[in-house]
Amino acid sequence: MTGAVLETRGLEKRFVTHRPLFGTPTEVHAVNGVDLAIHEGETFAIVGESGCGKSTLARMLIGLIRPSAGQVLYQGREMSGLPQKQMRALRRDLQFIFQDPFSSLNPRMTIGRLVEEPMRAHGIGTPGERRERVGRLLARVGLRPEHADRYPHEFSGGQRQRIGIARALASGPKVLIGDEPVSALDVSIQAQVVNMLEDLKEEFGLTLVVIAHDLAVIRHMSDRVAVMYLGEVVETGPVDAVFDAPAHPYTRALMGAIPVPAPGARDSVAAILEGDVPNPTAPPPGCRFHTRCPFAVARCTRERPALADMGGGRRAACHLRDELPAFDTRAPEPGRTPGAARRFELWRTARSAGQDDRHRKTTQAEETQP
Amino acid sequence: MHAEHPRLLSVDGLSVRFRHHPANIVDDVSFTIGAGETLCIVGESGCGKSLTALALMGLLPKPAAQVAAGRAVFEGEDLVALDESRMSDIRGNRMAMIFQEPMTSLNPAFTVGDQIAEAVRRHRGVDRAAARGRAREMLEQARIPAAEKRLDEYPHQLSGGMRQRAMIAMALANDPALLIADEPTTALDVTIQAQVLRLIRQLQAERGTGLLMITHDLGVVAETADRVAVMYAGRIVEEGPVAAIFDDPQHPYTIGLMGSVPSLGRRSGRLETIPGLVPTPEAMPRGCRFSTRCPFAAAVCAETPALTEIAPGHRVACARAPIELRVAEDAA
Ligand SMILES: Nc1ncnc2c1ncn2[C@@H]1O[C@H](COP(=O)(O)OP(=O)(O)OP(=O)(O)O)[C@@H](O)[C@H]1O
Ligand SMILES: Nc1ncnc2c1ncn2[C@@H]1O[C@H](COP(=O)(O)OP(=O)(O)OP(=O)(O)O)[C@@H](O)[C@H]1O
Ligand code: SF4
Ligand SMILES: [Mg+2]
Ligand SMILES: [Mg+2]
Repeated sequence: MTGAVLETRGLEKRFVTHRPLFGTPTEVHAVNGVDLAIHEGETFAIVGESGCGKSTLARMLIGLIRPSAGQVLYQGREMSGLPQKQMRALRRDLQFIFQDPFSSLNPRMTIGRLVEEPMRAHGIGTPGERRERVGRLLARVGLRPEHADRYPHEFSGGQRQRIGIARALASGPKVLIGDEPVSALDVSIQAQVVNMLEDLKEEFGLTLVVIAHDLAVIRHMSDRVAVMYLGEVVETGPVDAVFDAPAHPYTRALMGAIPVPAPGARDSVAAILEGDVPNPTAPPPGCRFHTRCPFAVARCTRERPALADMGGGRRAACHLRDELPAFDTRAPEPGRTPGAARRFELWRTARSAGQDDRHRKTTQAEETQP
Repeated sequence: MHAEHPRLLSVDGLSVRFRHHPANIVDDVSFTIGAGETLCIVGESGCGKSLTALALMGLLPKPAAQVAAGRAVFEGEDLVALDESRMSDIRGNRMAMIFQEPMTSLNPAFTVGDQIAEAVRRHRGVDRAAARGRAREMLEQARIPAAEKRLDEYPHQLSGGMRQRAMIAMALANDPALLIADEPTTALDVTIQAQVLRLIRQLQAERGTGLLMITHDLGVVAETADRVAVMYAGRIVEEGPVAAIFDDPQHPYTIGLMGSVPSLGRRSGRLETIPGLVPTPEAMPRGCRFSTRCPFAAAVCAETPALTEIAPGHRVACARAPIELRVAEDAA
């Protein structure tokens, strides 16, 4: 036993993109030798460049697609060897929130049916109980019970993403994997959904795996993070350690490119990572990042760096890991400008006063009851 | 105000209504965009941002939804009044759109290259080879690796972010004068996002393209917008220069929105939210549509507040703005 809920060993996925009549087919090495252990009850984040293999990795984690090589273990047992019946139970335990909410929802089903379906498939509850649970789930993600009778096309992008979340929660999963679960949401709804996911985690002891581009959200909600580049994990560790002192040059580039929510706060052009994203069908030899790395030396073009232990639960795959200049941390960005913060204080005061009011009213109402 | 940006698009009183819905889903929306200018629209999920964009593009889901009122004058023509054949000349040509969900504009049955080339051929009348060349050039500009190969791939073979870039390439292929981008970088990581935003900015600088950008990423807004319009429940509740919206947010919804942005520092408790839900069209409050969730709401809010100038170029639709004065008055 490793204590991991989900574990991958040497996980690989290759897609054939072009199969000529003669000669060797062209392959994309979407995921290349990933070893990860996700612990029970934690929130584990996967970040990385677009096209680096995050969605492919996530799909393998729940058995939606088969690895080309390597293993995925759920509670210590290898997934691909499981008999039909156990695979069904596993589907109930592991649920997925899809990146593209539009194409993942059947357009001919009402929202109510869509959210109910996983419960039906796993024989959970009576029809009455299921209907009630659908209502509760919709409310939980900030939708209205009366939305249950509508169809996906009647909803906005962000609303559809929340429908996907309600559906993923329906079967009472143990592990929830979210592929950009909050990226289509405005910040206030996003905050509601993030808070909700945290509550559900507490309530049901959920393990969360999240893929996201919003690094502030990642930092807020996760315990550990893995950074991927071109199919490989290049850095992993506790989220605060990685954000405060990123060890891998790609992680540093990522931290430097975060847009700041204050006009003129950052010279955005200076922070851009130069160089083209390499062709994934012919990834660079040596360190895959060397074509864009500002620190690269000759060795990087030949030798592939191992994901080596750095202590403190951190690992990084860079030859210069211990020699890089200290990361010049910019002061952690506040979410709001001083002007906005001042007004928000007023808002907070007014809100708590309002809550007191409401509280007083309800208690009065209760008191006047016979 | 717009001396530096000759006017490209003027939207005036635009309203969109769904059949059988009692309230307008987009209600009396007005704004302008100048050549080379970027207007960002932000607002709560479901508030009508995409529908506003679709109305301008003549792509509302008909017959369920209709423009109920208003004008949208683009290069001298009222888009709302145009027939479909004239509209399809303009769409993808003088005016192009990047959609929120790439799969709504990419056809799964055709390769990416064919789709972009077709858009080029249709409006430019060039031959196949030239159109394909243009398609490759656009994929390269959109930073898609191995562009030549990707031309012959189908949308499902691309990652989410690559699909979005392919769509950006298609939208830019005919050098539009106005680009409408609905969450153009949502599926992109921050490094590619920075590159794509730079691409769009370069294009603007070179060709004076006007940009209407819908995004909920306030970091992106801060770095790209000249002006910002904040929408809530179908209406613009605040509008102004980007610095004013961030440093001097006046509308309670904007204040709540700015307060909800997570900081990049270490975690400090739960995220702030705006409590409550957006009202449904059936239960739209009279007067200010935010009044059901607003901590500052008072009796005056039962009247619809007009969008009123509070500082040069900065307009807000709130009867209680500036809020610190009203709060002080209430306390007195
Ligand atoms: N079905 C497929 N056939 C061929 N290639 C594929 C397929 N699915 C993914 N790929 C390729 O595998 C690589 C990884 O894709 P994946 O979708 O996992 O990336 P991602 O990290 O999720 O990116 P994004 O952030 O853009 O969603 C990409 O180069 C993509 O083009
Ligand atoms: N075909 C339809 N029938 C009925 N209602 C619809 C339809 N399409 C959209 N709506 C409703 O209109 C409202 C506005 O939708 P719109 O897509 O413009 O929102 P949005 O501001 O773009 O939100 P998001 O940020 O989530 O994309 C939503 O509340 C949605 O439920
Ligand atoms: S008009 Fe009133 S209810 Fe509306 S936002 Fe302003 S204070 Fe709040
Ligand atoms: Mg993906
Ligand atoms: Mg939208």
